[in-house]
Amino acid sequence: MRILEQLGSPLIRRALLEAVLVGALCGAVGVHVLLRRLPFFTLALSHATFPGVVLASILGVSVYLGGAAAALGLVLAVAAIGSTRRLEASTATGVALAGAFALGVLLQSAQSSATRNLAGFLVGDILTVSTEDLAMTALFGLVVTAALIVFHKELVLSAFDPIGARAAGYATTRLEVLVLACVALTVVTSLRAVGTILSVALLVTPALAARQWTTDIGPVMALAAAFGALAGVGGIAASAQWNVAGGSAIALAATALLAVTVAVQQARTLVGRQASRHGSKSRELAS
Amino acid sequence: MVRLLLDPFGDAYMRRALVEILVLSGLAGVVSVYVLLRRLAFVGDALTHTIFPGIAIAFVVGQSLFVGALLAGLASAVLLTVATRIRRIDHDAALGVLVGAFFSLGVVVVSTQSSYTSDLTALLFGRILTVDTAEIIETTAIAVAVLIVLTLVHKEVVLRSFDPIAAEAMGYRVFLLDLLVNAVVALVVVAGVRAVGTVLVIALLVVPGAIARLVSERIGPMLVASVAAAGLCGYLGLVASYEASLNHGVRLGSGSTVVVALTIAFILTGGAAALLRRRGAGTAAPGSAVP
Repeated sequence: MRILEQLGSPLIRRALLEAVLVGALCGAVGVHVLLRRLPFFTLALSHATFPGVVLASILGVSVYLGGAAAALGLVLAVAAIGSTRRLEASTATGVALAGAFALGVLLQSAQSSATRNLAGFLVGDILTVSTEDLAMTALFGLVVTAALIVFHKELVLSAFDPIGARAAGYATTRLEVLVLACVALTVVTSLRAVGTILSVALLVTPALAARQWTTDIGPVMALAAAFGALAGVGGIAASAQWNVAGGSAIALAATALLAVTVAVQQARTLVGRQASRHGSKSRELAS
Repeated sequence: MVRLLLDPFGDAYMRRALVEILVLSGLAGVVSVYVLLRRLAFVGDALTHTIFPGIAIAFVVGQSLFVGALLAGLASAVLLTVATRIRRIDHDAALGVLVGAFFSLGVVVVSTQSSYTSDLTALLFGRILTVDTAEIIETTAIAVAVLIVLTLVHKEVVLRSFDPIAAEAMGYRVFLLDLLVNAVVALVVVAGVRAVGTVLVIALLVVPGAIARLVSERIGPMLVASVAAAGLCGYLGLVASYEASLNHGVRLGSGSTVVVALTIAFILTGGAAALLRRRGAGTAAPGSAVP
């Protein structure tokens, strides 16, 4: 394992820490993405942060700020297009996604050093994570986690039964906005590690894998966070071992976790079916 | 004004780019209406990402990018169709997983190359100005094939969009119809890869149909409006990017300018439709023929 030899380098240590933090955060938030069927919206959000990031880097302000502002813009645009009622939600999301992304590319191409940072924004560049980036990730992670814990009961209720939640007096629209804000903040946080395109992989895959083990939302979130962190470590190790792109290796590690989960669950179902068949047969013999 | 609109096409490479974008617009304009009807915006976007590893692998082993994209496109159309039918897993989640897995695979493959960054950019954003005659012929062949298939199954696909249960009850193979439409979308993505790149082809698949939906709710007029919108924006986008790059010193990528033109057209149409509705609110009964 080449990763063990490289642990002395602060570069690798920072990358590992960032991967664990981002993986755990994305895993936990991802459970809410699945509960509310937001994967496409998340993908759109991750693409839409791109023009904000490019503009921020041109203007020389924080890329996190630019990404967050663009994400907010996308939420408003989808709401505005969706409110015309002639277009359903996925079309509205698609239009907003395409427009935002093209704007980002256009901004980037208008710049003189056209291709310099483009790939870094798109697929992440985890080895260049600085201590400030780490602090930012930890801060955003704490804020999002706190929000999810404080409003856990309300969020889960309104996801499963929005009408019931409204009838019980909860402000469901505000809860929806809270979830969207958490997802947006998570996407922006994971920019450095996995880039705009791949954050959707970390927001969906670990949560989906965790969901296969248990249906209790609290444990699912804990397990998803653990899976996300594990994918982070595995991805960095694979990236060091075979010298491939870090962010993508993390996404692939998450996919591998899901594949193992599905295989184990399938095997368990098969074994369980056989066992029950066997059991009923022996009962028949006994009677 | 006329000079502004015609001047850019004095050079052969601009004429080739124009032909390519017009053929592509005609194709994407038609398919876009089916994407809208079948609510395939996410599937379309997923396909633009899942095609990427095919291109990346073809690029690394030195084979034709077109063949790589074609193989990956058809393979992912099958996978997507199967994945969205697994009951235990939500559609969108399955698509999200596939997007992440396929796209990362592509990036990992490309990242083993030394010219990593600029290769990735070219693959993602296309270079329409370097289109050659052979590529135009490939795009045209795909367009003709897709249009023939869609003409043949139009009635069935529309029925399946509005009432899947009835379609199943009448004996149509819904799975095969879904697979066919997904394969058609994949083919458009493959055709659009060089012109506007994998990432921006989604705009051509979603926006013209959305514009058409704002104009009409009948499928015939929607098809016409969609093709017209795509073609017009393709043309204007090319002119704008040429004019800005040559005479004003602002380098605008041609593919993304086309998409921005489409987005502006969508916003203008949306505004006009809202104004018209407000004016005719008392007279027209609200009713929608499109899901």
